Amino acid sequence: MTKRLVQGNEAVLRGAIHAGASYFCGYPISPSSEILAQASVYATTHPEFRFLQAEDEIASVNAILGASLAGAKSFTATSGPGFSLMQEAIGYGHKVGIPCVIVNVMRVGPGTGMPTMPGQGDLNQTRYGSTGDYTSIVFYPSTVAECYQYTIHAFNAAEESRSPVIILSDAFLGHLNEVADLDTIDVKVVKRTIEPLASGSTRLFSGVATYPDGEPATADSDEFIRQYYEGREHRLKVAEKYAFYEYGWNKDAETLVIAFGITRRIAQPLAAHFALFRPIRIWPTLDKELTEIAGRYKKIIVIEGSDGQYANVVERMLLRRVERVPLLGGRMSIEAIREGLGAIGMLPAELAPSGAVASATVR
Amino acid sequence: MAVKDKLKTDLFPTIWCPGCGIGLIMQQLASVMEELGLDKSNTVLITGIGCTGRMGAYMNFESVYTLHGRTLPVAEAIKLVRPELNVIVVSGDGDTASIGGNHLLHSIRRNPNLTVICNNNEIYGLTGGQTGPTTPQGTNTISSPAGATYSPINLQGLVNTNPNAYYAKTTVYHQGPMRKAIKEAIGWPGFAFVDVASQCIENNGRRIGFASANDMLQHYKTEYKAAPPGSTHLEPHQLGIVKGEPVAGPAGSDHGNGPASAEQNNGKS
Repeated sequence: MTKRLVQGNEAVLRGAIHAGASYFCGYPISPSSEILAQASVYATTHPEFRFLQAEDEIASVNAILGASLAGAKSFTATSGPGFSLMQEAIGYGHKVGIPCVIVNVMRVGPGTGMPTMPGQGDLNQTRYGSTGDYTSIVFYPSTVAECYQYTIHAFNAAEESRSPVIILSDAFLGHLNEVADLDTIDVKVVKRTIEPLASGSTRLFSGVATYPDGEPATADSDEFIRQYYEGREHRLKVAEKYAFYEYGWNKDAETLVIAFGITRRIAQPLAAHFALFRPIRIWPTLDKELTEIAGRYKKIIVIEGSDGQYANVVERMLLRRVERVPLLGGRMSIEAIREGLGAIGMLPAELAPSGAVASATVR
Repeated sequence: MAVKDKLKTDLFPTIWCPGCGIGLIMQQLASVMEELGLDKSNTVLITGIGCTGRMGAYMNFESVYTLHGRTLPVAEAIKLVRPELNVIVVSGDGDTASIGGNHLLHSIRRNPNLTVICNNNEIYGLTGGQTGPTTPQGTNTISSPAGATYSPINLQGLVNTNPNAYYAKTTVYHQGPMRKAIKEAIGWPGFAFVDVASQCIENNGRRIGFASANDMLQHYKTEYKAAPPGSTHLEPHQLGIVKGEPVAGPAGSDHGNGPASAEQNNGKS
C-alpha cells in the first residue's frame, strides 16, 4: 500500500486483519457500521475470514467468545448502547479467560442519545460495566494511523492477558479520513495463546466459579479469591507492557492539559500555552507515569467528551483538585474548548475568540 | 471404549437431585456418542445456565458452559470456525426458549449444523420452581400461585419455520425414541432440535401432585402416544419427528455469510 486516504473505522478493520483476526460478528450501529460492512466485503474474497451479522449485540459478543475458543482471533465493533448490551459477556470473557477485541466507536449517550455525534462517555462502562471485579485493558487512539496501530496492540494484549480488550474510538475519529500509509506501521503480532477446542483434553470453559477439574466452587471463598488475584496480577503485568501515552506541547507551561482520543486533536491550538498528557492506555490508568508528570505542574485541566469521567479518575489518583472542561452533546470543537476554559478562567488571552492574536498562535 | 468412558464418573454423584430426568438424557447421549464414534477430538458440548447446564462438566469432552441463554451464538461461531467438529448444545427450556429466545429464532432461520437437546421440564428448577416458557397454562408454580397465566411457547412451530430443520418430541421415559432422535439429530445436516419432556420432581412435580419421580415417568408413559406415521405436525403429548428437507441453509454455518456471499458475488461478476 502507498499513502492514501483512510477512514478511522477502516483502519481498525485493517489493523485487526493484520493482527490475524479471522472471525468478525457484529450488529449495525452508528457510528461503527463501516467496520461491519467492510468486514463483510473482506470476507467475500477471503474465505478463511469468517463473518456473521448477528441478531443483536448480545449474540455478537457471545459469538466472538465462542469463535476465540474454537481457535480464531475474533472481534466485534459497536457503539455505546450495543456495548452496554455486551457487558455480561465481557465479564464472562474475563472470568473464563478468552482473548478477543471489542471496538466501541463512541457516540453521545445515554439511551439512544445522539447516534451520529461524537462522545467520550463510555470510559466508565469499559471499566466497570459488567458485574463483579475484573481488570480491563482499554486503548484509545487519536489518529487514523493509530487506529490501525493500537488495534494490533489490542489483539496482542488480548492474547497475552487472555481477556477481552477494548479499542475506544468515537464518531469523529471513526469517520475521519486522513492520509496514511498503514504498511509502514510495524507492530509485531503475538500468536494465539490458548489451545483451540477439541484439543483432545477435557477442559471446561465455565463462567461459574469452578475448580480446575470442573467441579463447582460456588461456595469456596478461598478458591475464588485465589483465582481472582491470579487473573488480576497477570493482566496488570501484561498491561505494563502496553503503557502507551503522549507527553508534550509546552512542557515549561504551568498547567497540564489532559486530553485523549479525538479531543487531543481538537485541543491542538492550545499547544503553545499548556503542557499535554494524552493517555492512550485508558485502563488500567497510567498511575506511575501521570503522577510523576503531574507533579511538575501547578494546575491540571481535563478536557473530555463526558461530564468528568476521566477527571474524576485523575482527581482520585493524584489526590488534588482537577479543573474540568466537559464537551457535551457532541459539541467537540475548539470553540467549545475555548468556552470551557473561559468558564473556569483559564483561557489564555491570545486564544480569546475576539483576539486577533489567536490565529497567530495556532499551529 | 465403553459408554462410561464418555462420562467423568470420578465426579459422580452429580449435583442433580435424586429422581431428576437430566441423567437419563446424559446417559442416552453418551451411549449414542459411543455408537457414532464421537469423542473429545471431534466433538464439543455447549451448555447453558440451569440444572441442565452442568452436563458439560460431567462428560469427557471439551465443553463451554455459557452465560444464561447464550448457547446458540457460541455454538454457531464454533461451528463456523471449525466446521469439522460435531457441536452439541444441551440446555433447559428456560435457557433455550426464554432468555435465549431471540437467538433461538435466528439460529433456526440460519440453519446451522447444530444438534440442540432441550431438557424440557416445564419449570425453572434451579431457582426453585418458577413458571417457565414451556410451563402449561394453569400450572401452579412458586411464581404463579393461581396457575400459569399464559399458554406455553410452541417450540415445534418455531423450529418448523425453517423448512430444513429437524424437530423431535420425546420424553425421558421413552428411551428408544429418545435415542433414535438424538442419533438422527447428530447426523442431520442443518438445525436439529430434540425436545425432551423430563421430570423435575423436587421443584415442580411434587407441587403439582406427583408423589415421586417414578410417578412422573409413569405419567409420560400413559400420556404420550406415538404420532401416526407420516405426521407433519405433532399434537401435544404426541411423540414423533417432523423433518424438513435435509440440507444446510444458505448461510450454512459450515461456510457462513462471508464465503457463501463470495460464491454468489463471484457468480454475478
